[in-house]
Amino acid sequence: MRKLIEFRNIVKSFDGQVVLKGVSLNIYENEFVTLLGPSGCGKTTLLRILGGFLEQDEGTVIFDGQCIDKVPAYKREINTVFQRYALFPHLNVYENIAFGLRIKKMGEDLIAQKVNRMLSLVNLEGYGKRNVTLLSGGQQQRVAIARALVNEPNVLLLDEPLGALDLKLRKEMQRELKRIQQEVGITFIYVTHDQEEALTMSDKIVVMNAGEIEQIGTPLEIYNEPVNAYVARFIGESNIVEGTMKADCRVRFDDKVFECVDTGFKPDEPVDVLIRPEDLTVVRPKDGVMRGEVKNVVFKGVHYELMVETKTGTSKTVKMHVVTSHDIHNPQAGEKISANDFYVDSDDLENKEMTDQDFISIANAQAWDEENRDLSLTKVTHDIQKTPGVYSITFGTDRGTEVTVKVYVVHPEYVEDPRHNIGISALDFFITPEEIQESMAISTDLKTWASAEAWNLQDDSSVEITDVKFDFDPAAVTEGSYDITFATQGREYKVETTDRLEVGDRVGLSFEPEDIHVMHKEVGDV
Amino acid sequence: MKSFFRMSYPYILWIALFIVAPMVMILLYAVTRSGNGTITFSFTMENFARFLSDPTFLKVLWTSLRIAFLTTVFCILIGYPAALFIAGLPEKRQTLMILLLTLPMWINMLLKTYAWRGILMNFEDLSSEIRVFIGMVYDFLPYMIIQIHTAIAKLDPNLKTAAYDLGANPWKTFLKVTLPLSVPGIISGITLVFLPAVSSFVIPKLLGGGNYVLIGNLIETYFLVAGDWNFGSAISLIMALIIILSMYLTKKLDTTAKEE
Repeated sequence: MRKLIEFRNIVKSFDGQVVLKGVSLNIYENEFVTLLGPSGCGKTTLLRILGGFLEQDEGTVIFDGQCIDKVPAYKREINTVFQRYALFPHLNVYENIAFGLRIKKMGEDLIAQKVNRMLSLVNLEGYGKRNVTLLSGGQQQRVAIARALVNEPNVLLLDEPLGALDLKLRKEMQRELKRIQQEVGITFIYVTHDQEEALTMSDKIVVMNAGEIEQIGTPLEIYNEPVNAYVARFIGESNIVEGTMKADCRVRFDDKVFECVDTGFKPDEPVDVLIRPEDLTVVRPKDGVMRGEVKNVVFKGVHYELMVETKTGTSKTVKMHVVTSHDIHNPQAGEKISANDFYVDSDDLENKEMTDQDFISIANAQAWDEENRDLSLTKVTHDIQKTPGVYSITFGTDRGTEVTVKVYVVHPEYVEDPRHNIGISALDFFITPEEIQESMAISTDLKTWASAEAWNLQDDSSVEITDVKFDFDPAAVTEGSYDITFATQGREYKVETTDRLEVGDRVGLSFEPEDIHVMHKEVGDV
Repeated sequence: MKSFFRMSYPYILWIALFIVAPMVMILLYAVTRSGNGTITFSFTMENFARFLSDPTFLKVLWTSLRIAFLTTVFCILIGYPAALFIAGLPEKRQTLMILLLTLPMWINMLLKTYAWRGILMNFEDLSSEIRVFIGMVYDFLPYMIIQIHTAIAKLDPNLKTAAYDLGANPWKTFLKVTLPLSVPGIISGITLVFLPAVSSFVIPKLLGGGNYVLIGNLIETYFLVAGDWNFGSAISLIMALIIILSMYLTKKLDTTAKEE
């Protein structure tokens, strides 16, 4: 194939923001090339530079062996299908398509012949006299394609042309575009953020990220052998696990060494391992190379999508003491007051400089009058020390209504898990049945009541607690003590299967060495 | 729905009292003879016949139409490039330019016309018609610019890009895309310039130097000076017919332009 377009080190920035960081790319004759990436990755900018609507800051565009940097848009043998079609509202379908031909001062017979041929190519025979503004999105799209193709360009640029269409029409137009491209036999350069569109239509996909090209390859190459985790995540569903390459064809992840087919890594090089959900097979636990528990099942039509947890996260269990609170009634003032006993961590007393307001909120202290209006607690007196022990705290209102509760100062209790690099802490707590019943989001509230926190042991950054386990019914909880377990995310694998499984099932997972793909770490990836 | 309709009663009353009734009175005056002391009317068409048979009056009508037409054409010729230029500026500058254009419109027209009289006094060899013409173009130009600017500013910029893409150079793009799509703006500009120009009487009175009479002045004279309300009403009706006809024609022009 002959090289048609060459981008050489294209740099472009807008208002100091670098959008293209030196992009080089070759495009050949008759190729269907897709520029794929999220919005803002620079794909449309690259397209507009080729169309002549933008000028690059640095670099050169070679078209058919000639530098076209100084050629204005209207002299380039390139036509574009715009995102919102940009059909001329004052012209009918026929005249829209004939626009380029009339500019070239072509004879009326020839124009009619060409336009009609285009109308049948895009399946719009008999639509010539229609008003373009009254056409459906799909029809406008077809007119836009015909209007560009009638000029017989060497290259057709398509800027997210299917973005405004609904799913069914989009699928139809994907097939249609591929057919048109094969029929007219010219280069299509297609810009999209839709990975499925890219996979279905392209001969070559160019995956872009933040102004740079990550990978160029056929759809199959991009899907099966992505160069890094970014590309893998962008195309298709994926499980990406951190691992280390022990030797050629030996990769270690999930505390085990697995056989693979990848070579050419340094010994002990940290890598990302990609396992596509459809490559994992659900087997009996004893037959699996990994074992785990089904955490989630989503029905997807043809298959089920499971989340299988092969390794539990770091967890900490605390006691929840459910006690009925006794409101204290002060008949002289016509006021009532209540508060709960509470636990507090001696480290927090040491480091955090706890205020009266903090105590009021931990104890859930409240006062109200006979009309149920909230009153402010103006008096807080306590004998709390930083050494562990039992102390007391008294909350009171202006009019002398008071309540005294116990404060348990305890040593901090962390669970540190060096294997996951995660620390987690939580405190026992007292709570009333009413507060549990009133809770709108019980898991979140339990985290707050127990002051549950998890963090990364290395950099102290906060880690999300994804799992809160408890075995009481929040609607009908009675006095007593209950265990609450807080846990961080374990290792989970997304699996696609046609087997019907329930949440909580124990399963084994297996895969073949060629099903896993080892990738270099992304540059700058921590 | 019914109570909604009831809310329109004050407006209906207003329209009946201040628009329909005076019109009926003008019609009545136009087809009667003067000197109707009592409620006895003597119907006649001679007011119209008098206007249409006197070449002096017809010449005034012709002059009015001619100067209004020329004013409109000049407003388009000056206003279109101005509107195009403003529409090409960055958004903030556009607002400033439009503000500068509308600023003189806040000043009383009489005042502006007096100012022009002073200016034009220095140019003695200008004919009355040229003086009136300058005054009219000056007064009505902002309406034209604003209408055209609105039409151009709301055009999708992608249309221009699309035209370049299809091989049209900037001039062709203007001719084949920008110009046809701004026709509705020109049409409403014409309506806003031609109609007041054809019936204007202050400008010709102040700038024409007394011997330049347009149809508006004629009506004024017959109502206020001669006291012949019947003939004045007949001229007003003829004017109204001409205005309605010209509005119909411009509207027709607009729809044919759209169909093309």
